[in-house]
Amino acid sequence: MAREQSWLLDELKRRGISRREFLGFCAKMAAILALPSSAAGAIAKAVATGDKPILVWLEFQDCCGNTESFLRATRPTVAEIILDTFSVNYHETLMAAAGHQAEAALNQTVAGHPGQYIAVIEGSIPTGKNGAYCTIGGKSALQIAREVCGAAAATVAVGTCAAFGGIPAARPNPTGAVAVGDAVPDVKNLINLSACPMNAENITALLVYYLTVKQWPPLDQYRRPLFAYGKFIHDNCERRAHFDAGQYVEMWGDPAHRQGHCLYKMGCKGPATSQNCPVVRWNEATNWPIGCGHPCVGCAEPNFWDTMTPFYRRLPNVPGFGVGSNLDRIGIGAAAVVAAASLAHGIGEIVRHRVGTKPSDSDRPSGDKK
Amino acid sequence: MSATPKIVSPTEAVVAVYVWELPVRLTHWLIVLSIAVLSVTGFYIGDPLIAVSGPARDHFVMGTMRVIHLYAAIVFALALFVRIYWLFVGNQYARWDQYLPVSRERLRNTWEALNFFSYWRRDPLPYPGQTGTAGLAYGVVFLIQFVMVLTGLALYTVYAAPNSLFQAFVFLIPLFRGLQMVHLIHHIGMWLLLVFMILHVYLSVLFSVTERNEIDSMFSGYKEREVTVVRETRDA
Amino acid sequence: MTHIVVDPITRIEGHLRIEAEVDGGKVTDAWSSATMFRGIEIILKGRDPRDAWVFTQRICGVCTTVHAIASIRAVENAVGANPPPNARLLRNLIMSAQAVQDHVVHFYHLHALDWVDVVSALSADPTKTASLAQSISDWPLSSATYFTGVRDRLKTFVNRGQLGPFANAYWGHPAYKLPPEANLMAVAHYLEALDFQRKFIRIHAILGGKNPHLQSFLVGGMATPVDPDSQASLNIGTIAALRELIAKGRDFVTRVYIPDVIAVGGFYKDWTHYGAGVGNFLAYGEYPEGDDSEPRLFLPRGVIHARNITRIEPMIPEKITEQVKHSWYNYDGGDDKGLHPFKGETNPAYTGPTPPYDRLNTDEKYSWLKSPRYDGQPMEVGPLARMLVAYGSGQQRVKELVGKVLTALGAGPEALFSTLGRLAARAIETQVLIEKMDDWVTALAESMARRDYRIQDNSKWDPASWPKECYGAGFHEAPRGALGHWVHIQDGAIVNYQCVVPSTWNAGPRDSAGQRGPYESALVGTPIAKPDQPLEILRTVHSFDPCMACGVH
Ligand code: HEM
Ligand code: HEM
Ligand code: NFV
Ligand code: SF4
Ligand code: SF4
Ligand code: F3S
Ligand SMILES: [Mg+2]
Repeated sequence: MAREQSWLLDELKRRGISRREFLGFCAKMAAILALPSSAAGAIAKAVATGDKPILVWLEFQDCCGNTESFLRATRPTVAEIILDTFSVNYHETLMAAAGHQAEAALNQTVAGHPGQYIAVIEGSIPTGKNGAYCTIGGKSALQIAREVCGAAAATVAVGTCAAFGGIPAARPNPTGAVAVGDAVPDVKNLINLSACPMNAENITALLVYYLTVKQWPPLDQYRRPLFAYGKFIHDNCERRAHFDAGQYVEMWGDPAHRQGHCLYKMGCKGPATSQNCPVVRWNEATNWPIGCGHPCVGCAEPNFWDTMTPFYRRLPNVPGFGVGSNLDRIGIGAAAVVAAASLAHGIGEIVRHRVGTKPSDSDRPSGDKK
Repeated sequence: MSATPKIVSPTEAVVAVYVWELPVRLTHWLIVLSIAVLSVTGFYIGDPLIAVSGPARDHFVMGTMRVIHLYAAIVFALALFVRIYWLFVGNQYARWDQYLPVSRERLRNTWEALNFFSYWRRDPLPYPGQTGTAGLAYGVVFLIQFVMVLTGLALYTVYAAPNSLFQAFVFLIPLFRGLQMVHLIHHIGMWLLLVFMILHVYLSVLFSVTERNEIDSMFSGYKEREVTVVRETRDA
Repeated sequence: MTHIVVDPITRIEGHLRIEAEVDGGKVTDAWSSATMFRGIEIILKGRDPRDAWVFTQRICGVCTTVHAIASIRAVENAVGANPPPNARLLRNLIMSAQAVQDHVVHFYHLHALDWVDVVSALSADPTKTASLAQSISDWPLSSATYFTGVRDRLKTFVNRGQLGPFANAYWGHPAYKLPPEANLMAVAHYLEALDFQRKFIRIHAILGGKNPHLQSFLVGGMATPVDPDSQASLNIGTIAALRELIAKGRDFVTRVYIPDVIAVGGFYKDWTHYGAGVGNFLAYGEYPEGDDSEPRLFLPRGVIHARNITRIEPMIPEKITEQVKHSWYNYDGGDDKGLHPFKGETNPAYTGPTPPYDRLNTDEKYSWLKSPRYDGQPMEVGPLARMLVAYGSGQQRVKELVGKVLTALGAGPEALFSTLGRLAARAIETQVLIEKMDDWVTALAESMARRDYRIQDNSKWDPASWPKECYGAGFHEAPRGALGHWVHIQDGAIVNYQCVVPSTWNAGPRDSAGQRGPYESALVGTPIAKPDQPLEILRTVHSFDPCMACGVH
């Protein structure tokens, strides 16, 4: 213990960081996580002591976007995570080892620390063709995921692909891609950090949460931490006043667009998407999608590639009516057809009453009146 | 039925039958009214066509539409639930079995009604309640209305406070494959109801002409009908 | 003869497997196989072409802008949309920022550990490291105190006993040649570059909302409004922020990246003799400087055959085909013929061994990558291709910088056709682009001053304004090379979509004529000191900056 304590303090001093500044960082972290201020001390202690927790990061049917996002982390930075806070024993994009020696690093971790490491999974897992749509070292992603996540203390599915299947699982899902939770039925402590990619702020907040309170945070119905996914984009959006007022961007570059009016009519999916983008924002809180003038595409939600598309329309296509079908136009059309049919039928009735015979003379079958 | 009137001309025998009890009439018109409001506000929510300029703080068009929509939704949902309750305790014309062509008698009634609409059968059916076809259509409409409430409640979870009881309905969202699909279904529901209403109003007018006082009946509760037993007596 | 398998190839994007035959301390044959497939071209069918860029962008999160740009250009080409000048400037800035950031990350985080022995850095003398650093650059972080700090941080890390991502590597391998001091300097810059990439890429957040996967593209222009008088648009504050980030980027590239490449290259001059590859080069050209249909390109377009940089041939898109003879796909008309992307097919048909497996049958199909060919020839694409085409076309700044770097390395132009040549070309390109970015910011500021608000060709936004059926191609120079998307649209929906990607060109398998792809060719002749630790294979493969998510998609 003492060794680690002094290690941290030495290290801080070396980097010109005073104890006070360090505690300030911890207080900031506590605030992000909505923890009581007393937690700052616990964070400081947690970060400074003990063996570094082990983390293995696996990539399957992914685009590496979540890894890249991870590289943009600031609180702590990726260098601090790799060198100081965690022992990242496997991460194909970053690790020095390759081939058999890389595989060995993973196997040693799984066999040597069962139930003790955190598995981070990026990308979906294909179930088609015996898993041949994704293999590493000749083994299928499905097999690796079951071995590694099955023995992990917790599994963090980063990005919508790992959390919900994401783009590989979009219609018609050519490879039978599934989410981690579906591929590894007995996975323990699964946490989904969806979004495409996940925001670096959210994984660092999650890791610090774990280090601090030694527990995993409360989750929503899709197993996403409430601290990051507990509110809708729409509820924190800086353009909300314009939504309520009824002021909308009608065309790209129009005065409403330049003045930052609401993007609802351009297809914004903020009203159907939960994530903390408007609050924590992205890349050192520089900006976020709606902040730059483009609608939210709903990237943190399950099935968003199928249900949030077409991206530039508010509603999905009407089933059976093809791309770009407009529900209101279909509705007005249907109403017109029914109205016309009613009119025609009414005319038919009038004609028959004019030219027809009396009911009592009728010899047609007529049920009750017989 | 035991009394056998001695009537020379059967067409003169007209009896007022109490068909629509007060809860049926009341809920019917409340539902009509609330759907009108819900459709106007719902259409705006789906496609806000009114343009307003100036600072945002001076306007609250969408906000107002949504508030009105939600108040109308309360009226609508309560009325619908009273009516659904009445499906089980109301008179024979209001009962649930009128909305499902289950009995042989209802099936025959349905068939005859279809014959009438296709001009094959000459006269409207004399049955004072809804015909089998109408009953079936109303059954489907009850279902659509119920889906409107479910999807509406699912959408409302987005606005309800995190600890509100309404959050109990979030479980509906994955059942519909996500919020966007809930929006879509809710919006489709509006059009189905509007299309139904056109047909329904037309038929009400049609029967008001071919029969008697059809539309009045939804106000007074009574429908006037020829007493069919008269002919049976004569035939016997 | 030894058959070796390196799977996973790490420090790249994605899932790459190299099998190689080693004989007499040299690679005699090699096979490159990508082992992950998603089917994004299939998933795009039937969708709204205006959405396509969001999908194709997810082909890769490393080169996160490039498939968005290529897709948008393809659809614009098909429907006849003309993005206005502001959109062009914003795109140029976004593309160049991508290239600069991607190249820096590649050198320090994906490639450096092939040349830098981290363990040897522990024994470095910080004072000597400082004088080495000061001798190659005036970068301020170069004092002995600073390097002592870095060395001690590394020591503390190693002493804690958990080596994490640095465990199990080829440390101490005889092919490592840098003295401890150079290793220590490189480790320091590895860490600095981690901070650099994070800060520099804020350019993307400013212009695209976030990175990775910026969200400001549109078919016909950009979604970022431009208005100097609005706080909700790109305004003069944006200009100032961009200027600052670009200035810092230029500082790092000029004073750290370029000197490091020259310093490391100086210790590995023998690597100008290995890794030559196919010797044919293809560049689509990039950075339009005007708004007509055939604008001048800042980096020119062209084709080089058989290393003849004195003859830059015109690039003819009709000559591009993709073959699947050795790829896990079927073509309806048979697998021996290549298909032009407008007629392209993506019919996955896995015939490889059932996992888990040890060996691929490289006589049959053995990769998820297709084999793109130009006029039937394998082509290398990437920074080297671009710099050669620019050099051969007489691009002034490229010529100057190539000359400077070659002089510093004491080598002739033929040294460029090598593993080390790719590193040098990438660094030169980074320098050329970071210098150029300022011009585009200035042009954007001038446009603001003129109150030119146009960001989008709205006349082609509504699908009703499109032809009933149309075809389009979109070309782009991604960090890793020439990228093309081809789209066929009918009734407002995508009928067919094909991406032919830099890493497909470079990493693809053999074609029906048996010609090796560029990786496979480049590996032949690579020396191997220890077949069980094939560090040298990593060097040559990494020099291409592989991206398999791109290559297969
Ligand atoms: C027949 C009855 C109803 C009709 C015709 C109707 C119609 C609509 C329409 C057309 C929309 C816009 C949908 C879209 O395009 O996204 C909407 C939204 C909504 N409706 Fe209804 N609705 C009805 C009943 C209800 C009920 C019973 C509720 C219950 C709470 C409800 C709550 C909502 C909510 C919360 C929204 C979402 C508003 C938003 O997205 O901001 N509606 N309604
Ligand atoms: C969308 C709006 C409407 C809905 C959902 C609706 C629904 C119903 C239902 C379910 C019934 C069967 C009675 C019951 O079981 O409660 C009914 C009957 C009736 N409605 Fe409506 N109604 C609507 C609009 C109207 C309007 C606008 C009129 C007036 C012209 C009208 C006139 C009648 C009449 C006359 C009956 C009795 C028909 C019969 O004898 O079968 N309804 N309506
Ligand atoms: N190959 C490739 Fe890319 C690039 N540059 C794209 O087209 O990396 Ni992901
Ligand atoms: S969720 Fe998005 S960013 Fe992450 S791997 Fe999937 S496509 Fe890439
Ligand atoms: S821009 Fe989108 S998230 Fe923001 S208020 Fe408008 S609809 Fe809601
Ligand atoms: S698209 Fe994704 S990044 Fe945020 S604003 Fe929307 S959830
Ligand atoms: Mg392709």
